[in-house]
Amino acid sequence: MPKVLISAHNLQKKYTLSKTNTVHALQGVNIEVQEGDFSAIVGPSGCGKSTLLHILGLLDRPDAGAYLLDGIDVMKMKESEANVVRAKKLGFIFQGFNLITTLTAVENVMQAGKYGGMNLKQRKVRAEELLTLMGLQDRMLHKPNELSGGQQQRVAIARALMNKPAIILADEPTGELDSATSMEIIELLKKLNRENNQTFIMVTHNLEVAAACKKTITLKDGKNAE
Amino acid sequence: MMEILRNMLRRKGRTILTITGITVGIFAFTVMGSMALRFNKIISGGKRYITGQITILPKGTSFEGGSGGGALLPLDVLDRMRKVEGVEAVAASVEIPLEEPDPDNPTGGGFGPSKSIEGMDLDSAYKNRNWETLDMKAGRFIAKADPDNVITVGYTIAADKGIAVGDTMNIRGRDFKVVGIADQTLTGPDNFIFMKITPAREMLLASNPFLQSLKDRADEAAKITDADLALLSPEARKQIISARSFKLEDLTPSAAVSWKDGQDPDEVSNRIKDQLKDDVLVLSPTKLGEQIDKASAIFNAIILGSAVIALVVGGFSIINTMIMSISERKREIGIKKAIGASNRSIAWDYTLEAGAIGIVGGILGMTIGAITALIINNKTAASGAEIFLISPGFLLGVVAFSFVLGVLAGVIPALRAAKLKVVDAIREL
Repeated sequence: MPKVLISAHNLQKKYTLSKTNTVHALQGVNIEVQEGDFSAIVGPSGCGKSTLLHILGLLDRPDAGAYLLDGIDVMKMKESEANVVRAKKLGFIFQGFNLITTLTAVENVMQAGKYGGMNLKQRKVRAEELLTLMGLQDRMLHKPNELSGGQQQRVAIARALMNKPAIILADEPTGELDSATSMEIIELLKKLNRENNQTFIMVTHNLEVAAACKKTITLKDGKNAE
Repeated sequence: MMEILRNMLRRKGRTILTITGITVGIFAFTVMGSMALRFNKIISGGKRYITGQITILPKGTSFEGGSGGGALLPLDVLDRMRKVEGVEAVAASVEIPLEEPDPDNPTGGGFGPSKSIEGMDLDSAYKNRNWETLDMKAGRFIAKADPDNVITVGYTIAADKGIAVGDTMNIRGRDFKVVGIADQTLTGPDNFIFMKITPAREMLLASNPFLQSLKDRADEAAKITDADLALLSPEARKQIISARSFKLEDLTPSAAVSWKDGQDPDEVSNRIKDQLKDDVLVLSPTKLGEQIDKASAIFNAIILGSAVIALVVGGFSIINTMIMSISERKREIGIKKAIGASNRSIAWDYTLEAGAIGIVGGILGMTIGAITALIINNKTAASGAEIFLISPGFLLGVVAFSFVLGVLAGVIPALRAAKLKVVDAIREL
């Protein structure tokens, strides 16, 4: 029986935009993710996909509900503890790659190691190893604006893998890529899932990407769709 | 460190303008501070000396105005003072300008203590309580057994005029043999020539037409024999006897009193004042010290004021730059937080960046300020009036101050950055 990494029940989140305008982004979402899952969160725009991903990734807090991450009760976690968990147990891949523009590819990857507690030498060795794994051994000293979209997303994947996280959360990881590059990136993620048993949860609009996932969680109006 | 540098260079123009603001502030701080240090050094040296004695001036003069105007102490006052309880010794002193004032530039125009001749009463047992001896750069201080034509020269005068021990120096038309060069004190004695009181009195006499006329009359009166005097009317006889009584050793523009061990100088001053208040002005060490402290406070206010200017000019420009920078880099803060950066780590990065801007501006401002002070000092050194005291400790302090200023100015924006909610920053992504 695979280990349960995420177990969340009745997650609720609302945003008060003004006195008369409150958005109920999540209204009792349940989700369970096991080690080695390759899951997609899908649903129409505004259904709460990104909010759920942010809560699962400890970037935001639910207003109510229960959430256990690798056995840790997130609802009782302090912000300083959340930072440590985010650095060591979670990896993020964003739609717009979100690399730091002033840093080279290798420095971007090393940055995650800095927050994960690695020393400089460890960071350098690990970052170079991951970029080589991503096929970017010749692009390590290039800055993001000198890389293609696909290459930038590979750097972002390397950064997400830096601290050997239990789970990688991806928010529309192929959203800014053409279809050929999108499938290339998905194949790369699947390979990491297959070979390293790396757990992935990704939010996507792309039906092809969703179809490539082993498990799909569908949301509608802030709730699990039946 | 490289990341901080790169972040500073992201907006080169803005960073340069911010650094320029700090440079201007720190330049002003360095220059004004060095000037104030110089003043304070002069003042504190003067204070040390002046509070080691009770100063006696002729009635009607003042400490600030000096004993100028040719005012002299009454004839028998020094003897009466010696008898006051608690007085250990009284020394007459003569202070006159080293050179006759230039008729075309009577006010001089120098900075700090003017070059002067200090005529010393070496027969007296007087000793300054705070400054018994001067350290010597070469040779020795003049002594009681020396003839009248020997001098000890202050550090600045010796340096300016290239004088060495054994040289002969012409002062107001008379040749003196140099027996010693005093070490640098950065205060009054650097600009003094120390000689015995007799030649100083003779020069005072020669420079004062009124005193000279009295001397001439005394010399003329001395030529009249007692037999001839007996033939004159009582009134004329009285005038001639009076004229004959003029003596060089009566020329005492000021005096210094030392007190016996265990005596309170202020009490001794009060006793002198009680007994001789109609004849002399008595300045106690405490009273003079207070007056000097007031002057010193002005220069400390200059240092503080220039530091405040640097603080305001530099501090606000750093705060402004960092707030703009953080607002532009909200996205980057979001990324860093998402990949695990703690609030402390974010705050530390931005605070260090502000500190780096501060220290770069500080080093530039300090360097330009120190070079400016050095150039001006070199130009004015010839006249013995160096305006700035360039102290390595102060310069290091200025740079440290600029770093602290940067850090302090960066703290508020850095805390804002650290407190940024990840999800808000993420929404910018």
